[in-house]
Amino acid sequence: MNSPSIELAQNIASRLSTANLINADDIESITAKMSEGKLKKEDWRLAIEKGVYTKEEP
Amino acid sequence: MSNSALKSIVIEHLRGSTQPFILPFDKGKNLTIIYGDNASGKSTICDGIEFIGSGRVGSLDNRGLGKTNPYWCSIGKKPSDVSVSIETEDAVCSATIGTAGVIATPPQERPRVQIIRRAQIQDSIEAPPASRYSVIKPFIDISGVEAGEAALRELVRNVTGEQEIAIARVNENRSAIVQFWEEAGNPPPDPYSWAEIESKQDTSSIKAEADSLNNLKKTFDQLTPYPERYKNAQDALDEARNSLSATEHDLDENVKIVSAEASDILSVLVTMKDYLSAHPDPAVCPVCESAEKASGLSERIDDRLKSFETLQEIQTEKKSAEDQVMRLKQRIEDIKQEALELATNFEKMTKQESLPGGTTLPQRAIPKELSEWEAWFQECGELPEIWSKAENVRGERNQYLNTLKKAITTYHENYLTLEELAVLLPKLKDTLAIVEEERRQFTDNKLKEISDEVGRLYELVHPGEGLDKISIALDPAKRASLEMGASFLGLDGVPPQAYFSDSHLDTLGLCIFLALAALEKPDETILVLDDVLGSIDEPHVDRLIEMIYQEAMKFRHCIITTHYRPWKQKLRWGWLKTGQCQFVELTKWTAQDGMILIHAIPDIERLRILIGETPPDPQLVCSKAGVILEAILDFLTQHYECRVPRRAERNFTLGDLLLAISKKLRQALLVDVLIGTDATGIASYKTVPLAPMLEELTRIAQVRNVFGAHFNEISFDLLESDAIGFGQTVVDLFETLVDEVKGWPRNGKSGSYWATGGETRRLHPYVRPE
Repeated sequence: MNSPSIELAQNIASRLSTANLINADDIESITAKMSEGKLKKEDWRLAIEKGVYTKEEP
Repeated sequence: MSNSALKSIVIEHLRGSTQPFILPFDKGKNLTIIYGDNASGKSTICDGIEFIGSGRVGSLDNRGLGKTNPYWCSIGKKPSDVSVSIETEDAVCSATIGTAGVIATPPQERPRVQIIRRAQIQDSIEAPPASRYSVIKPFIDISGVEAGEAALRELVRNVTGEQEIAIARVNENRSAIVQFWEEAGNPPPDPYSWAEIESKQDTSSIKAEADSLNNLKKTFDQLTPYPERYKNAQDALDEARNSLSATEHDLDENVKIVSAEASDILSVLVTMKDYLSAHPDPAVCPVCESAEKASGLSERIDDRLKSFETLQEIQTEKKSAEDQVMRLKQRIEDIKQEALELATNFEKMTKQESLPGGTTLPQRAIPKELSEWEAWFQECGELPEIWSKAENVRGERNQYLNTLKKAITTYHENYLTLEELAVLLPKLKDTLAIVEEERRQFTDNKLKEISDEVGRLYELVHPGEGLDKISIALDPAKRASLEMGASFLGLDGVPPQAYFSDSHLDTLGLCIFLALAALEKPDETILVLDDVLGSIDEPHVDRLIEMIYQEAMKFRHCIITTHYRPWKQKLRWGWLKTGQCQFVELTKWTAQDGMILIHAIPDIERLRILIGETPPDPQLVCSKAGVILEAILDFLTQHYECRVPRRAERNFTLGDLLLAISKKLRQALLVDVLIGTDATGIASYKTVPLAPMLEELTRIAQVRNVFGAHFNEISFDLLESDAIGFGQTVVDLFETLVDEVKGWPRNGKSGSYWATGGETRRLHPYVRPE
């Protein structure tokens, strides 16, 4: 059973990916950092900018 | 972490365990009930489990002791004497006190434990919402995500600030461009198009013009010192020539003094002087060999040479003056040469292609003769200033265009930044909205899950009062504040502390802790309920115990300590399901012996033991069998609402109870005893009528009083075999009616019979036949 933080971080990362706000490649790292409380402003910005400017192949 | 079954726990010198205490766990039973009066050592067992599992002894907390470690060891023992070991089917884990705290070895075998104490339950209910939150926090702890959410929120704030700054910069750039445009006289079509065109202008030609003007002026300036330098050199030459003339005159005068052959004579005299130095005072003249004037010859030669020295000096001066004249002439030639070269350079500058058209130039070429330059300069007048001004105009124009170009570039850069932020910021806000929503939803769901579970457990104890009626929620207006709500007399959401009895509050608290404990890895958790049945109302105890039994099955092992005597009695009489339950009892604790464990033996087991003794004691058999038979008849007569003589003391005799079961009821009483289940799960039963046993017991019931209750001479005439037969029939009746594992047939859900748990016994009829 995952800790509440991990469970919630997984939900959030998955939803952000579905909403095309972050790339699927970043789900794992964002989940890990978020659950450990290590997701900083720079990480958020980089992930969202990647989501905006790096359109994945369909 | 392991979830293997527990085999035993050994506690040494921890609090009440002044002597090593061993609690063996029954195989296949994951529920252990430890009964003991106050101060028998129940809490020490809980402490031991907490010590090895969590490295602490929570029962001493909140007693005003401060740091409790010094009080963990038994009186007279040292912390290093304390040891707790748990043996499981897979391994042994031991815990001792080290310098840095409790050390469990091997650490991977350290059991996961949850301790729920009565005081903790009361505190959590009565505590303020913030303290209550701390109890539930570990189960909804999402601090990692909250930190990430805070970082994202700050990022949104920062980017919003960046956007505001970018907007201000773009506006500033626009104002600057408009200002340039206005200064340029509002040229068409609009400020930005104009600025774009202007900024694309090639500034190199302007720069080339400015440079050529600068070169022109610079070379002109280089010429200006030459007239003066020429004049100065000329003056110096004149002076040198004058000096030379004067020296020549002096020389002429001096030459007259010396002979015409002065120079030849001078050499003869010098030679003579050298000779006389080597041969002083000669007798004759070395030249003419005359002795006439030989005396004083050396002195005369010196005088003659002295007159020649003046001549020499004048000759030297003349030579120097001639050299000076020569040098000055050369210097003048050099100045002329330099001036002419610069003049040539200047002429070249006047013909530069990059010179702006219409540049004013000297009227005539610079004269060849330096002496005429002064006049030429005067003719040129203010030309250098004109060239400087023309150069400055071009410099300013160049600077203007560069500034405009920079303004346009900055405008484009800032506009691009603004466009990027206009895309990024909404995405960040969307992200934050999702994070906030998910976080709220997650917490709400977790709390709902806990609320539902608490309600379900509470419903098991207080039917009709739990489901959908208990709520646990975070106060949105306060951080880390947990509110509880309950339904009371139709009012929803009221604080239970305000309306519930102590008993109900205790039950609610226990339900909350049980629900929380089951949230995380229950199958790996040893759950300890330390004396949690404090003030539970009697009518609810059975249901509470039933609920605890049911919930205990979720955990790796559940240990319940209690001083609640009815629980012990109910177990003694087999009124509770004892199948998965191990019941142990602690006797009085002493400092010398520490905690002492005894195994409680159910009365039916004691009766079997008494009957099995050789020879059996009829008095003891009848006495024990009579009590058990009374318990059976009490159950049946209450169950079927049989008539018994009404007495204030409600002390019915065995005869009263036997007679209360009418003939019709006796005939109808049948028990289906489960004898097996086939491969498809279909159960098969053997039906046993109770009537023969009840008839037999009625027949020999007097032995109970004769043998078992009083000293009676009549017993001398009775057969001891009747006494033993009485006991055996009671055992048979008990074994038919009661499953010692699943308990008594109290469940009437079928609507046609009464059953034990798992329907190992089915008691017919459902109601008493009229």
